[in-house]
Parts: sequence; C-alpha cells; structure tokens
Amino acid sequence: MNEGSQGEVKIQTEADIAVARRAVRDVASKIGFGVTEIARIVTAASELGRNVHKYAGSGVMRWNALSNGTSSGLELRFEDQGPGIADVNEALREGHTTGGGLGMGLPGAKRLMDEMEIASEVGKGTTVTVRKWRRR
Amino acid sequence: MVSEPISVIKVRNVLLVSMPADPDDSTVAALQDRTLDAMSKHDVRGLVLDLSKVEILDSYFARTVAETAQMVGLMGGETIIAGMRPSVAITATELGVTLGKTRTAMTVENALDLAGQAERKVKARR
Repeated sequence: MNEGSQGEVKIQTEADIAVARRAVRDVASKIGFGVTEIARIVTAASELGRNVHKYAGSGVMRWNALSNGTSSGLELRFEDQGPGIADVNEALREGHTTGGGLGMGLPGAKRLMDEMEIASEVGKGTTVTVRKWRRR
Repeated sequence: MVSEPISVIKVRNVLLVSMPADPDDSTVAALQDRTLDAMSKHDVRGLVLDLSKVEILDSYFARTVAETAQMVGLMGGETIIAGMRPSVAITATELGVTLGKTRTAMTVENALDLAGQAERKVKARR
C-alpha cells in the first residue's frame, strides 16, 4: 500500500457504522497489523463511529495510513458538527454518559488505541483523532 | 452491503444461535427478537449463542448479548456463550465489556455437552 494513503466514510445511518468498521479492517490489515491489533482498532472505530451517529446524527470518519520513517500506523479521525462536548475530561471518565449508553465509548476507545486527541466546541462539533502504531 | 444473517436452529434440546462475523446494528437487534421468538415456539431448555465467527464485540453488541441472556433467563432458559475468539475476548475486556454471569464454553460442542449435562441432572432428580 502507498504511504500516506487515505480515505473517508460518511456516517449517516446506523448501517454506516458497520461500513466504517469494514473500511478500517481493510486498511489495518493492509498496513500489516496482527489479528488482535485489528480487533482493537476496529472496535475503537465502532465505538467512535457510534458516538458520531448517536450524538451528532451524522459525520465523517477519515483514515490515514501513517509512516514516520521507522514505523507505520493508522490514524482515524471522526468529525461531526454535533452539539459538542462541554467537558472533555468528564466525557473520558469511566461510566459517564449523556446518551443512554454504558459510557464506555470514549474511555474504552482510548484504552484500545495508542493515542487519542479530542477537539470539541459546544454548538460547533467534535473531532476525535486516534492512532495506533505497529509493534515490531 | 448487507451483513450476513443470524442462523437459528434447534439442536437436541437447545436453541443454537450463530452470529455472523461483523453484524451491523440491525442484525444485532434481530438477535434479541429472533431468539426470544424461537424460545417461545420450540420446546427448548436454553440457548447456545455461537460467537465463533464473530470478529468484533463492541459495547452495543455486548449489551444486546447480556440483555438477551437475561431475558432468556426470565423465560426459564439458560444461555451458554460459545466459541469466543481470543482476539475478541482480549479486546472486549480492554474495552470494559462484561457479559454478566452468563455461562461460557470454548466451543459449541462443549456448550451442547454442558446443556446436555444440565438436562440429565434435571431428569435424575425426577
């Protein structure tokens, strides 16, 4: 696969969460992640994609194959123009939920990935970026 | 793309429900309806939920499995979850997923044996 290859999946319906998972599975396996790492990445994508659908209604997932010379990895960015997160630290707390779920989406996805960044503005939207690097 | 359907069959005295590799939300939601519906129609003692094909268990899927097992319990049946892959068990645990007190088995065969043992114990007591 070409370095820096990228793509996107629009998340508009519940079914698109599964479409996003399949896209992530394909690219993660092309990058060369192992079975368990792929399961971690796909599960994190499912949680974050579901958040987009549940809280914002719709949004987009952009994926980006990473290479910094010595290691390769995968970056996923979930963007929405939803209500935003008033308190990001609170949203990352275990069991915190405003959407009637179990509150494991954000903290769970953070545990499954190597890096996570959240940029959010109330009334404007949220961008959650996660990265996973290949272990060697 | 439509995800593969759920398979529901009666094996001996239990309902064997097999989930596809990566079910979308509507397929996961169908698990509850189809299982409870089949439980009430067939004379079965419980449910073996075959997860051996499943490649990902996110919080929504896990919650549906736990709720289904609870509902089957209310109807008087027992649920045994069978065949979870190592990568799925690792990931689900790291995510924070739990399946309550549901019984588990390494394979569908083991699960059917477990269900059979429970049946024999019941008969012995009669």
